[in-house]
Amino acid sequence: MMDFILPLYSNGFLSPEGNLFFAITMGFAFGFILERTGFTRAQMIADTFYFKNIAVPKIMGVTIITATTWFILFAWMGWIDLHALFTPKTYVWPYLVGGLLFGLGMVMAGYCPGTAVAGLGTGKSDALVFLLGLFAGALGYFLLYPFVKDFASSGDLGVLKLHDLFGGNEYTSYILTIALETGIILFLMLLQKLTNKGEK
Amino acid sequence: MEKRYWNPYFGGVVLGTMLFLTFAIASQGFGASGTFSRATAQLLVESDKSWMGNAYVASYFRRGLNALDNWTVMETIGIFLGGFISALLAGRLMIKPDRAPGYPLMKRFLWAFLGGAVVMFATRLARGCTSGQGLDGMATFSVGAWIFMFAAFAGALILSPLFRKQWVVENEDEGGEA
Repeated sequence: MMDFILPLYSNGFLSPEGNLFFAITMGFAFGFILERTGFTRAQMIADTFYFKNIAVPKIMGVTIITATTWFILFAWMGWIDLHALFTPKTYVWPYLVGGLLFGLGMVMAGYCPGTAVAGLGTGKSDALVFLLGLFAGALGYFLLYPFVKDFASSGDLGVLKLHDLFGGNEYTSYILTIALETGIILFLMLLQKLTNKGEK
Repeated sequence: MEKRYWNPYFGGVVLGTMLFLTFAIASQGFGASGTFSRATAQLLVESDKSWMGNAYVASYFRRGLNALDNWTVMETIGIFLGGFISALLAGRLMIKPDRAPGYPLMKRFLWAFLGGAVVMFATRLARGCTSGQGLDGMATFSVGAWIFMFAAFAGALILSPLFRKQWVVENEDEGGEA
């Protein structure tokens, strides 16, 4: 077995305190980029769903393409252990229902938690109201937890990667990811053209 | 003088590289929703210890007495600072709500609040938001992240007609608003 250097933290090259300092640094970069790309505007996120402006899926798609390209390159060089990266487990039913609800909340508010935090930093008063709503939602979930507990862990497939479904290895997942993201961006560009025909 | 926003493709390359670096160093990616869930749990337990009887709340205190002693919480503080500094340098720092011109402020706040509550409930079911589940999950090839993102996009699209008035200005009058 080869000795990996990356990820630094899980391989013991970074102390927990160092990692917390790093958390602020990377969060800073994340917030900075969210503001620079316009993600902190509720209007921009909402525009996505009316096909007025599809910068949001474009940025997300290119983000995934870029990050996975770095991963595959570094894994190929033997520099990073992809299995040590934290990957959320797959719970089919709660993710499906949670996703639909998330979409509803997003088109209501025009924010997701990360963009609202950066948005608050830029002075958006509605982002502050959205963040207060998050507290209310968490309280609601805690109170209802005894009733939704079983549903929340239904359809448990563990850590499931794309290549576990289609066979192959990380490279298969990588190619599928690039194809999906590129396809989604192109499809949305086409839809945008069709729906905005006649409009400027 | 207000700066222009970055080109989306350029922004994606920068954000993707940052996401890679975050994983390569910290072994985990970005997140945000967990911070507010933890903050709520911390507030509740501080005001009334009996909240520890709630299994979900108690799960945040397994490692210690403070639910906010957590990587994602620190990262979220960074997100706030990053947004602030970027807006400051770009000349976009301004206290104001984000809404379509002429849309009533109280209605805007009502939707922002309800949207926030719905979003948080959804992220508890989905174990993350567009960052912790969407970006991190898709970057690590997780099937669940794709289920979540497709469902989120579908949910927003299906219900978007109900909120059209809030976001889309119909028949913009020429020279209406200066």
